[in-house]
Amino acid sequence: MVELFSYTPILKGFIVLIFLGFAFPITGVYLLRMNLLPLRFMLMHGAILGGALSLAMEVNPFGGTMAINLILVLLMTWMSRSLKADPGQLSAFFMVLSISLAFIFIYRFQVPAKDTLSLMWGSLYTLNNYEFVGTIVFSMILVLFQAYYRHQLRAVFFDADIARTSGVNETGFYYIIILITAITVAAAMKLIGALLLDAILLLPALIASYHAKSYKSMVLWSSFWGGLFASIGFLLSLLFELPASSTIAVFASAVFLILILTKKK
Amino acid sequence: MEHSLILLHNDQIVFTSDEHWLYPLFELEQYLINSAIPIEQLFLKDKIAGKAAAALIVRLGIRNCFIELLSERALPVFEQYGIKYSYNQMVDHIQCRTEDLIMDKMSMEETYLFLRKRAGKVQGTTLKIKELAVEISGKSILQDLELDLGRGEQLVIQGENGGGKTTLLKSILGLINPVHGSILIGEELVGSSAWQKNRHQTGYLNQEITRNNFPITSAEVVAIGVSGIKISNSEREYRIELAMRKTGCFSIRNEMFHQLSGGEKQRISIARCLCQNARLLLLDEPTSYLDEKGKEELAELLIDLSRNEAPTMLLVSHDSNWTDQLKWPHKTLKNGKLW
Repeated sequence: MVELFSYTPILKGFIVLIFLGFAFPITGVYLLRMNLLPLRFMLMHGAILGGALSLAMEVNPFGGTMAINLILVLLMTWMSRSLKADPGQLSAFFMVLSISLAFIFIYRFQVPAKDTLSLMWGSLYTLNNYEFVGTIVFSMILVLFQAYYRHQLRAVFFDADIARTSGVNETGFYYIIILITAITVAAAMKLIGALLLDAILLLPALIASYHAKSYKSMVLWSSFWGGLFASIGFLLSLLFELPASSTIAVFASAVFLILILTKKK
Repeated sequence: MEHSLILLHNDQIVFTSDEHWLYPLFELEQYLINSAIPIEQLFLKDKIAGKAAAALIVRLGIRNCFIELLSERALPVFEQYGIKYSYNQMVDHIQCRTEDLIMDKMSMEETYLFLRKRAGKVQGTTLKIKELAVEISGKSILQDLELDLGRGEQLVIQGENGGGKTTLLKSILGLINPVHGSILIGEELVGSSAWQKNRHQTGYLNQEITRNNFPITSAEVVAIGVSGIKISNSEREYRIELAMRKTGCFSIRNEMFHQLSGGEKQRISIARCLCQNARLLLLDEPTSYLDEKGKEELAELLIDLSRNEAPTMLLVSHDSNWTDQLKWPHKTLKNGKLW
């Protein structure tokens, strides 16, 4: 199995997976804590719209999905805050709008639907250098952001009003968290696919929430579980010659199930 | 006397002050906190003393003193507490408004707190609300509301549910923008950039806090109080520990917040406000989720707070049985105004 790492795509895929495995579950904590679960469905559909648009315009789909997702989250956040509309309902609205527009583009510009929908599965071994470096840099920024602003983030997650009255710029942090979520989802879709990104994004944070007793331990445990799922899942996929993203998701689900059953006992 | 106040120990000068009014005695109070000299061995020389200074001298524990110019009004205080005094000149009263304001029925603790407030030696700040009008979704909630609270004062606002009590607190916090009027906390207008920088000086205990199930320890909740200001880690830890010890919750610092009783949660929330050095404390229905024991403990804690740190406190509640225990002044919010 070791000789497989001599292949550049596999080595690059493994390195990226280690970085995102440890870093991306931090976003999962944000999603869980701020009740932003509907947001990620909107982002998944937004990524399909971005992919369809990019393919129609013959540009890199990774940049297209990222751009559309950023526009969507900024629109959604602005509307929910200024119009006092429910973020869940707005997410559903943008989700429907995105997928509708995506299929209009696919039909109108005769984009092969198969290529657009390949975003659902991800492509860990087809990273170009920009995507490789970009994902590693973003992972590091995410970890540094969490480490540097841990006190302010803890306040925002605990209670928005309390955070504001403690002197924390809650609105600013809310926007940054939403932007980080958009970038994370777009990057995770490219790497492990829309259908499986929860294995890295949400499952580690969910498991951590079962045994964490503090905010600090929740973040650290989420990161630990994410890193474990990514690295062990990847090695298992090489060992049994299975798709990496699916193997990671199955391994993460198995650990989740075992921990839930053990907890019940 | 070349100084306003001199403190002697075995005829040696150990402390002097050149401040005016009661400030030399408040400076002396700080000196004595850190001094190891037995207080009964100290001899105080003061330039002028009336009833207020006499009360402070008694409160400091000084037993022997010489006063250059002594007011007759100070004598009953010295005699009641057995203070040995001598003087150079006696007058029937001294020109001091503070002396006139001290009532005979006030206890020593009440007098001391009154003098601290008057000297600005309390944590509390002033709150001034003028012609405040607030609308929510086009409906008038508060109209021409006026309120004036001095440093370290307390006020209970009562009123029916939905009468605008929470709206008033949120307006003071800057969470709701008024359509008319102004709110001044200290010298800072709510909404101004100066207020924004010192926003942490207003502490808030809301109704929802007791239902929060976020995995977070008690110490982490208290730490939220200092999350908006830049301080070193050691200072952060010191302030957290101090606030938790003051409110009697240091022993539960590692407990998960959402597993605590309602009373313990409110204790932690008050510690959070102390940790952020809140000079104005706003409490929104703090007994909503408390049992009788929790209510009793909270009342004790608030009374204790009003006597020690003495932040200015504004409490809204419809639980009049409980607020009566506090013996704080009351106002009622009705038809958008305070009565």
